[in-house]
Amino acid sequence: MAFLEYLADPSTQRSLLEQSGEHLFLTLVPVAIAIVLGVGLGIWAHRVPALSRTIVGATSTVLTIPSLALFAIFVPLVGIGNTAPMIALTLYALLPIVRNTVSGLYSVDNAVVESAKGMGMGATKRLVKIELPNAWPVMLAGIRVATLLTIGIAAIAVLAGGDGLGTEIFRGLRRIGSAGAFESLLGGTLAVVVLALLIDLAYLAIGRLTIPRGIRE
Amino acid sequence: MSDIMIELKELTKRYPGTETPAVDRLTMEIPRGEIVVFVGPSGCGKTTSLKMINRIIEPTSGQIILDGEDVTDVNPDQLRRRIGYVIQQIGLFPHVTIEDNVATVPNLLGWDRDRTKARVDELLDVVGLDPDVYRNRYPKELSGGQRQRVGVARALAADPPVLLMDEPFGAIDPITRTRLQNEFLRLQQELKKTICFVTHDIDEAIKMGDRIAILQERSIPAQFATPEEILTQPANDFVADFVGSGSTLKRLKLTRVRDVNITTDALLGRIDEDKHVLRQRLQESDWTAMLLLDAEKRPSRWLRAPDFLHDRPVAEMGLPARAMIEPQATLSDALEEMLLGSAGVAIVVDGRGAFQGILDVDDIITSIQTMRDANAEFYRASKLIDPATAIA
Repeated sequence: MAFLEYLADPSTQRSLLEQSGEHLFLTLVPVAIAIVLGVGLGIWAHRVPALSRTIVGATSTVLTIPSLALFAIFVPLVGIGNTAPMIALTLYALLPIVRNTVSGLYSVDNAVVESAKGMGMGATKRLVKIELPNAWPVMLAGIRVATLLTIGIAAIAVLAGGDGLGTEIFRGLRRIGSAGAFESLLGGTLAVVVLALLIDLAYLAIGRLTIPRGIRE
Repeated sequence: MSDIMIELKELTKRYPGTETPAVDRLTMEIPRGEIVVFVGPSGCGKTTSLKMINRIIEPTSGQIILDGEDVTDVNPDQLRRRIGYVIQQIGLFPHVTIEDNVATVPNLLGWDRDRTKARVDELLDVVGLDPDVYRNRYPKELSGGQRQRVGVARALAADPPVLLMDEPFGAIDPITRTRLQNEFLRLQQELKKTICFVTHDIDEAIKMGDRIAILQERSIPAQFATPEEILTQPANDFVADFVGSGSTLKRLKLTRVRDVNITTDALLGRIDEDKHVLRQRLQESDWTAMLLLDAEKRPSRWLRAPDFLHDRPVAEMGLPARAMIEPQATLSDALEEMLLGSAGVAIVVDGRGAFQGILDVDDIITSIQTMRDANAEFYRASKLIDPATAIA
């Protein structure tokens, strides 16, 4: 029961809590940036169907780059620290958001958009008042996937000089075989899992609060 | 104020990469306050023609004149707020309430809250939905017929003088469709909107239209005339074909009982009269049957000579009077009643059920013949006009 002892240790609790905070920061900032960029790109791709393939294709390509390599690519440019991981995580978060924004906008019933147009609603108003609210459930699902994806990948930010729960995991990994190494590894991993679950719950609540009643399941 | 509400001049739509235009130089005048129905086979361009009026589809060339004003190049959003728009799929906004749906155009026009709210309630009432019940519901909570009512209310919200309706009742079950059609016609009697109505169903066109434009390929009008003319004098084989073989029956839907001569001097009796008096009156007349009325003059029973052979009270003699119709019923309704009833005639009664006259099959046939003769006359007369002057 060495693991329970490890958990009961106040210093462990403190560092796990601290690292969770860092991890959250490492995740949410890229996701926030990716939402702004991704929704923008998604709207653009939907407006200009010719661009759609290029935009979605480009964001998919990013996802095929091994995460370690993507983290490393930016280190020479921005140096060691949180910046390089955050740039990489932003790129990873883009694909689900862009793709779901595009398919969310496509899922809005044509008749709904046409009737809005027929009543004299201009393009911008139509987007803000009709298309985005109706695409929102699909878009939100994309944002949720992007966030969960980012939480997982953020654990290796430590290799590019970042912080977060990766610190605890790699602390264990480096000392594997010696006392307390396994506990660190397990503790860090579980903390990531718990963080992901909490974020998922938060998204459930956000969905409840933001999806209009008329289009809720 | 001109009598022409919408004027289409040489309106053409040519899609890039296609040889023939979808709509080819459509020229038409739509009179104020009338329902003009565009009807034709699928792919004839009728919907494209309709959607060019509010420029959902931008015309390639030609002009749209709305109430004397050339609107071909004005801001389309401003134009559309002056034109109600109802489509088959309705397109209610699923994420907002019925109230917000109906309030769409008033909100765009910047009406204040109280005025908008009062207008929404008024309109829901007009289309037969209780505002207190439906105001805060969402579209998914309504049936198809109710949604289309909301669609109509939404189109009427800012009281536009013109309505465009693209197969508005097309996706609704037949029974609800008939009801909505009737309600809409009743509504139109008060509203007197200028309406363009697209359908592929000739029966609907005949029922709804003050005028019908039967459109051929490329939206070329094969005939633009009143339903009566189209049924009695189809301009060419295309129209005759499209109207179909049931055109005589369809014509019966156009004429109302009040417009034909009904027999008002039928042999009558009162239900409280003496049996022998009644018998004598029947024997002395040329009639084979006598209609008994109750104290309120409502038809009660039919009596024929053999009925007097049985010893029964007057109120139980003969057959009960059935097949009663009101003057605003169509001849088609009347014929149906005749076929269902046993007497082979329909009894015309007023709103309170009091006897007005009798309509039999011969009356209906006479009225069809009159209609045909009148139209033939008109047709011959128009042919006598010199074509050169007719064009000028």
